[in-house]
Amino acid sequence: MARRTLRHIFFTPLIRENPVTLQILGICSALAVTTSLDTALTMSVALTTVLVLSAAIISLIRRHIPVSIRLIVQILIVASLVIVIDQVLQAYFFDISQRLSVFVSLITTNCLVLGRAESFARHNPVLPSVVDAAGNGLGYSLILVVIGTLRELFGKGTLMGVPVLRTVEDGGWFTPLSLMLLAPSAFFLLGLLVWAIRATLSEQAEPLAHTPPDRREAAE
Amino acid sequence: MIKGLWTRETVALFLLLALLPLAVTWITAERWDGIVRLLVTLVIVYAWQLAFMLLRAQPPSLAGVITALAIAMLAPAAPGPFAYVLGVSFGVVIGELVFGGWGRNILHPATVAIAFLGFGYPAAPWPELPITATWGALAALGIGVAFGLVSIRLMAGAAIALGLAALAGLPVADPFIAPAILVTFTLLTCDPVTSAATQLGRWAQGLLYGGLIALFLSLWTGAATVQLALSAALIANLTAPLLDELALLAWHARRRRRLG
Repeated sequence: MARRTLRHIFFTPLIRENPVTLQILGICSALAVTTSLDTALTMSVALTTVLVLSAAIISLIRRHIPVSIRLIVQILIVASLVIVIDQVLQAYFFDISQRLSVFVSLITTNCLVLGRAESFARHNPVLPSVVDAAGNGLGYSLILVVIGTLRELFGKGTLMGVPVLRTVEDGGWFTPLSLMLLAPSAFFLLGLLVWAIRATLSEQAEPLAHTPPDRREAAE
Repeated sequence: MIKGLWTRETVALFLLLALLPLAVTWITAERWDGIVRLLVTLVIVYAWQLAFMLLRAQPPSLAGVITALAIAMLAPAAPGPFAYVLGVSFGVVIGELVFGGWGRNILHPATVAIAFLGFGYPAAPWPELPITATWGALAALGIGVAFGLVSIRLMAGAAIALGLAALAGLPVADPFIAPAILVTFTLLTCDPVTSAATQLGRWAQGLLYGGLIALFLSLWTGAATVQLALSAALIANLTAPLLDELALLAWHARRRRRLG
């Protein structure tokens, strides 16, 4: 494989190889914290920070981690970082940390973090690892922010808690679509997003599970 | 029948003809209000069919009329035109067109659209169906069975479950409840594409629909009758593939036992 440039490493995971829409990683938290934009943003920042720091540390000591216990070591590093982030959030953003509940702690088990550590940071020097982690973190953040924006805007008519669309209760015209605040809407939105991306970048489309029978359509 | 005559569109056409008594009784009761709602829904449904024909070469289907009729009859009154367009579009696109058009969908697009509007706007009032619609629905079911479009097993299963519920003292035959149960059953549950496809599965799905109606009637207080019937139809629709799978498993097990 030809050595990829840093720019390439940074930009591919944003959309082309987005961890959420292409590999469907980390969707548990992506679905759970996107009912409003501020929680989605906080979660994005927390995850990106953990991802970058863990990639840096794991890449630094990559030649010293015994292969047989590498997962334990990686999880230990990720978990320590997550605890620090969680404490920082509880200290300075208590409100949001309450609303994020367990999902910050669950970054430890986020497939995205471990996936990048396992497949990239373990084999590459520090700088490319950090760039790769930042790209993936920002790719995850991009999806979270898009879904969070849509859900908060159409579910409550606000963005970051600031009213944007005046709701009927306040004398405006907009009726909040309360389905947007329920979990299924996140699945719908993510599905539509994946559909849109794969329709544009058709090389991402998966092969057909069944080949249709070789005969004319019934509708003809 | 001559092979090749029963294309997808023939089925859609006959299904539409079978549903005409229901449509007529409903329109005579609702008058212009109903006609306008039906026309608006038709426009939205066929706009999406046109879009999918142009973009993805999916032939449009007459079944869109059935979808529009079901949505116009059963959907709760959405707050504002934007909400209604959103709900119908969601049902038609996500429920049917993304799968490749009518005949390949898993859920009935009208069920999806009505459920979307119902869950999305919980405060929206649900429609009251005219009592005459009961007779329209019965006629539609009769024609459907005669042409082999509606499974008699599905109907029998539902009839048994609802009969037992009536014997247990639930108001199944109440003139304000029966239309919702029957019309929802006719329009949504009996759809030949999305109902169960195995004989055993059809019995089970009919029993499930009737059983869910009985359950909701006895436990779900404060629900509108159409809402209650739609929830039963949605769950019955979602479980249809599972029931088919179980029926196939049972068939395989029986076959293995007999033939070793």
